[in-house]
Amino acid sequence: MTTYLIRRLLLIIPTLIGITIITFAISRMAPGNPLAAQLGMGGTLNAEAISQETIDRMMERYHFDKPLWQQYFIWLGDLAVLDFGISSVDNKPVLEKITERLPVTLQLSFFSILLSYLIAVPLGVMEAVRRGSTFDHTATILLFILYSMPSFWVALLLIQFLGSGEYLPPVFPVYGLNSPGVLAPWEVSPGTAWDWSLLPAWLGDRAWHLVLPVFCLTYTSLAALSRYARVSMLDVIRQDYVRTARAKGLNEQTVVFKHALRNALIPIITLLGSILPALIGGSIIIESIFSVPGMGQLGFESILNRDYNTVMGIATISALLTLVGFLIADLLYVLVDPRIRYD
Amino acid sequence: MAAAPATTEAPPDALAGKSLGERTWLLFRRDRRALFGLGCVGLLIILAVFAPLLAENKPIVLATDGGLRFPLFATLTGEDWRFLFYGIGSTLIVLLRHKWSGRTGLGLVLGLVLVTEVFCANWQRFNDITDYRELRAEGTWMLLPPVPYSPYETSAADYAAPSPTHWLGTDGLGRDLLSRIIHGARPSLLIGFFAQGICLLIGCTLGAVAGFYRGWVDLAVSRVIETFECFPTFFFIITIIAFVPRPELWHIMLVIGITSWPGLARLVRGEFLKLRARSFTQAALAAGANDIRVMLKHIFPNTLGPVLVATAFGVAAAILVEASLAFLGFGVPPPYPTWGSALSEARVAIDFAWWLATFPGLAIFVTITAYNLLGEALRDAIDPTSERP
Repeated sequence: MTTYLIRRLLLIIPTLIGITIITFAISRMAPGNPLAAQLGMGGTLNAEAISQETIDRMMERYHFDKPLWQQYFIWLGDLAVLDFGISSVDNKPVLEKITERLPVTLQLSFFSILLSYLIAVPLGVMEAVRRGSTFDHTATILLFILYSMPSFWVALLLIQFLGSGEYLPPVFPVYGLNSPGVLAPWEVSPGTAWDWSLLPAWLGDRAWHLVLPVFCLTYTSLAALSRYARVSMLDVIRQDYVRTARAKGLNEQTVVFKHALRNALIPIITLLGSILPALIGGSIIIESIFSVPGMGQLGFESILNRDYNTVMGIATISALLTLVGFLIADLLYVLVDPRIRYD
Repeated sequence: MAAAPATTEAPPDALAGKSLGERTWLLFRRDRRALFGLGCVGLLIILAVFAPLLAENKPIVLATDGGLRFPLFATLTGEDWRFLFYGIGSTLIVLLRHKWSGRTGLGLVLGLVLVTEVFCANWQRFNDITDYRELRAEGTWMLLPPVPYSPYETSAADYAAPSPTHWLGTDGLGRDLLSRIIHGARPSLLIGFFAQGICLLIGCTLGAVAGFYRGWVDLAVSRVIETFECFPTFFFIITIIAFVPRPELWHIMLVIGITSWPGLARLVRGEFLKLRARSFTQAALAAGANDIRVMLKHIFPNTLGPVLVATAFGVAAAILVEASLAFLGFGVPPPYPTWGSALSEARVAIDFAWWLATFPGLAIFVTITAYNLLGEALRDAIDPTSERP
């Protein structure tokens, strides 16, 4: 176990290096002058606005005068102390911009993952237990349809029919995370104590705003997960130990939930690692549709503004999060299933 | 793969004595999902190949004093002709494939490419600005395409709701939505075909090398696969596409292709690892076949099943990515008609023009469903006893 753990952790290092190399390479593939991009001048240096002397000084300051491999190592060194540089849009540190936005995206992802699992697993189990029934067939077809629906289309239709108020009464808000004027307990006035009486209203408002974006992020992974859950459960139900459990007279509930489900859950839990990157990718679209100020939206805006420091920062952090997700999934696999040995 | 377990779902007499490929094809054809998927993909191909004959504002046949004229064909672009030549040509080659040997088939394919490219290189398009709808109103006999609007043709009737004139309504520039959806089948078809082709090329090569040589090669390739899997792929596709000022379709295909292969490479690697240890591989190597030959002729054919399944799902995924890109404004720039950009344009009219968001999205949805269904049916046909999601 320890050997496996150490080997698994060591194997992260080449992957990490690969991630940083690709990130760096892509940022340097960007067209135009990197210094101009850094200064937020849209890729071309206006020689009349800045003297050659200043340009040289700036080149030195941002290390653009050095060979590419040196630039990479300088960037890597900064990365090691979590210094992603400065955004060319507002000169704020990239790390600060990301940490401002990350909680929002994590909030969406958390609820989305939680809901997917809470709905998908029971659904898959019920389908597997009643294999071949009308319920199984209907659910399979519905989940397949959900799985094939592009999330941005669903989002548009939801906004159109549930949010705009043109065709049906507006049920859900479609913009941002809170209604204007609804303050969080810590937003009343800076420096003073939090006003807890505001909390229920704020939470309710936030939940109301989260319904549509979370739904759009959830349904695809929900469909995929419950299909896995069904199959995994079907696999387990055929096993001898389930037959034994039935044969010794245990009631169906105990057989399904205690003997079968526990084992069926193993492959499903490990899927967590692969859901995470999908959610990060999905958050770009969903956050930009619903104007949610999360990391996806920040990434989208940074790409539009050619703010490559922020783009690189977001890419690195997302890749790291995904790597951690894979790692957790691998470790869960070993922890959950004592039959698996890696040494 | 060679020893697929006997199935209980199909009567044994129909499958007895059949090769794995024939058996798979039989089971596949019986599957209703496969039929639906094939039907939809067939429809997509027909829409893409015959787009100008289905939706254009020039008459296919026009009666004049001097006899019949065919104004539509004079205005076709090189792209239109390519679609017609390659679409009809490759369909004929596939349908008549049993009539000739493999070598003749290859010759025919090369001939088709040669004829098409020479023709398109020499094709002079006639820029016809005659308003044929007015001529028709004056009483000239003509046969217009069923949707008599060009996808680029703007009109004063902006945001017109679906009606007998514009079956699916018009967009903000008064362009006919149905015409744009019909022409939008082209990028979808091409993206699926070429992006997945690039993905297959990279994924199969890397996976095969890793699985065949094992050891440190495998370790290195596996790290590369993991690196690419960790990347927020979609984010990177946007970043790279944003480098190109006016991206064309092939840029997008290329970027989707070079970012979507890790899953496939992992799959092929696994299959190669498994098959490398089998005795037929050992026998081929012992008989002196070189590595490339063993990989291509002995192992690769045995991985075709899973690879085909992954390809069907991969095409669906590639189409979805292209649509998402176009939706976010990173697709082929306007006025090029794609389904994703149609959805993107629908956003400004979200609170009154329901048809703008509904129909292009439906087209994407049906296409993705069709490819996913093909993948599912294929998987069940290849391994009927399996029970996978």
